[in-house]
Amino acid sequence: MSADAPAIEVDAIVTRFGAQTVHNGVSFAVARGTLVALIGGSGTGKSVLLREIIGLQRPSAGRVHLLGTDMWSVAPDALDAVRRRFGMLFQDGALFSSLTVAQNVAVPLREHTHLTGATIDALVALRLWQAGLPADAGAKMPSELSGGMRKRAAIARAIALEPEVLFLDEPTSGLDPITARGFDRLVRSLVDDLGLTVFLVTHDLDTLRGVVDRVIVLGSAQGQGQGRVLADGTLQEVMAVDDAWIREYFSVRRIARDGS
Amino acid sequence: MSDPEGAPARIRGGPGLSDTRWFAVVAEAERTTLRLTGAWRLPHLAEIEAALAGLALPAAVAVIDGSALGSIDSAAALVLLRALPALRAAQDASCWVGFSAANGRIVEQVRKHLAASVAVPEPRQPRPLARLGRQVSALGGLLGGHVNFLGATLVAFGQALLQPRRLRLRELTVQLEQAGLMAIPVVALVTLLIGVVITYLLGLQAEKYGANIFVVDGVGIGATREFAPIIVAVIVAGRSGAAFTAQLGSMRLTEETDAIRTLGLSPMQVLVLPRVLALMVVLPLLVFVGDVMSLTGAMAIAGPMLDVTPVAFLARLREALDTRHVFVGLAKAPVFALVIAVIGCRMGMTVGRDTRALGAATTSTVVQSIVAVILLDAVFAVLMQALDL
Repeated sequence: MSADAPAIEVDAIVTRFGAQTVHNGVSFAVARGTLVALIGGSGTGKSVLLREIIGLQRPSAGRVHLLGTDMWSVAPDALDAVRRRFGMLFQDGALFSSLTVAQNVAVPLREHTHLTGATIDALVALRLWQAGLPADAGAKMPSELSGGMRKRAAIARAIALEPEVLFLDEPTSGLDPITARGFDRLVRSLVDDLGLTVFLVTHDLDTLRGVVDRVIVLGSAQGQGQGRVLADGTLQEVMAVDDAWIREYFSVRRIARDGS
Repeated sequence: MSDPEGAPARIRGGPGLSDTRWFAVVAEAERTTLRLTGAWRLPHLAEIEAALAGLALPAAVAVIDGSALGSIDSAAALVLLRALPALRAAQDASCWVGFSAANGRIVEQVRKHLAASVAVPEPRQPRPLARLGRQVSALGGLLGGHVNFLGATLVAFGQALLQPRRLRLRELTVQLEQAGLMAIPVVALVTLLIGVVITYLLGLQAEKYGANIFVVDGVGIGATREFAPIIVAVIVAGRSGAAFTAQLGSMRLTEETDAIRTLGLSPMQVLVLPRVLALMVVLPLLVFVGDVMSLTGAMAIAGPMLDVTPVAFLARLREALDTRHVFVGLAKAPVFALVIAVIGCRMGMTVGRDTRALGAATTSTVVQSIVAVILLDAVFAVLMQALDL
């Protein structure tokens, strides 16, 4: 596999739920070492697409290549091998509530490596630090953490195995703006310092404005986009696209800022 | 993933220094260089760590050469730095040479982490005596809480008596159906089998003395007075008590109980009272089902095993089974029901706001209810003895 092959390649994805079509030929590719955001109105199937990319939900048609592996025609053990090479942050963190934060982070390390206990402890401490958590957070239970810290702990678990790609589902939803911006910086540093590829689904315009390299807009199957990619490019390029939904999406924010 | 095989060419190795697939030690006149090679990544980390541990490095490893390093991830950088404590705290970057920009950033980040990290003190384990004391006081708190909750339930009941409109009839009906009607099959099956088993065991002994017919006395009194109430209460504790905790607990997790409060309603009225009342109504009925079924089971096996025909069985039952035994058994049921429902609801209403606590509370409800039922039954036995009932 060559190093400059795209990390994620989505090719003509079609998704139907009964008679309802959600995606009707969605295609894009994400290059390694970039931070890409997926946006779209509600009902455009952003989270569904994410689940299809990481192999949790089978698309009706089309192909997904993640790190060069065809996620929907590969043997189960090869799929397991790919699963070790990406991390996923679920919306509410999905930390195991019966384990402490440190034990949560250690789960993938104990499961998939043969490292000694002391090394795993040191690695857990490194992950917590990389996720921006204080060292004493490790001994706490997930229920004792605030929402922002829970997401950071989930990031620490998601990057435990040095994934090449990290998927984030609405990482800043439910966080206050200050915590959310701190989280944005954290995600950016993962891309810049660790060379990760990050693919996130978001509603947060500030995330798009602040840290994202590229924005992909999913169109609604009923509207102009017909269930395809509506726009794809830098934030400026996307904002320049002539589409009713995109105009409205970005103008909401302008009203809030100008107060008019 | 590209993974260069084969050991790198050794440039000028000092005696006793080892080269591996991952690094080469190059001893020069005044300093030693550790030359990293290959891909230092997590999947190979155990091997790398073992190789580093086997390395007897002179104290003066002064330079780490990363020019031949394919890639390094932060986990591998951590292992490297842990193996080289002298370099960990070194402030100047002059000992790191030849690293690509990306690799250098990763090593630098991990070095910063190790320099900043302080040992977190282990949480202190309480001593056994202190732990015992804490558990006893926790148990006291639990019991006190139950009594409190019982009081609050009684207050809610009083309010409902004064204003019958406040009673949630629909919720009450739903609970009557779930805790009562739907429990009938399992109660019937279990008590039927218990009746068979008791009769069988008593029959084995009675046969020896030719006292077959007196088995009816034993099973009649035993089943209606003790076994049916206890067995049915245990089943209901496992079914409805656990369900109450799980339902109310998950409503607390999703903030439904808070919503009820902010709408000006009382969770005690809306959620707890219907459940408590429903259980107190249905448990005596279920015990009656249990009485009938266990006697049916007894009668069914008495024929083939003891030659006691159903007619003889029923005739003897009329003589031997005083109705007070049946009433004692039925009278215990509402008390058991009250205890089970109060424990189940209280554990649900006070559960911690996470899934682990919910599971623990549900388990605890079942254990507490069963212990409470059996304790109460013992108290009843002593009381009834004293009262000559």
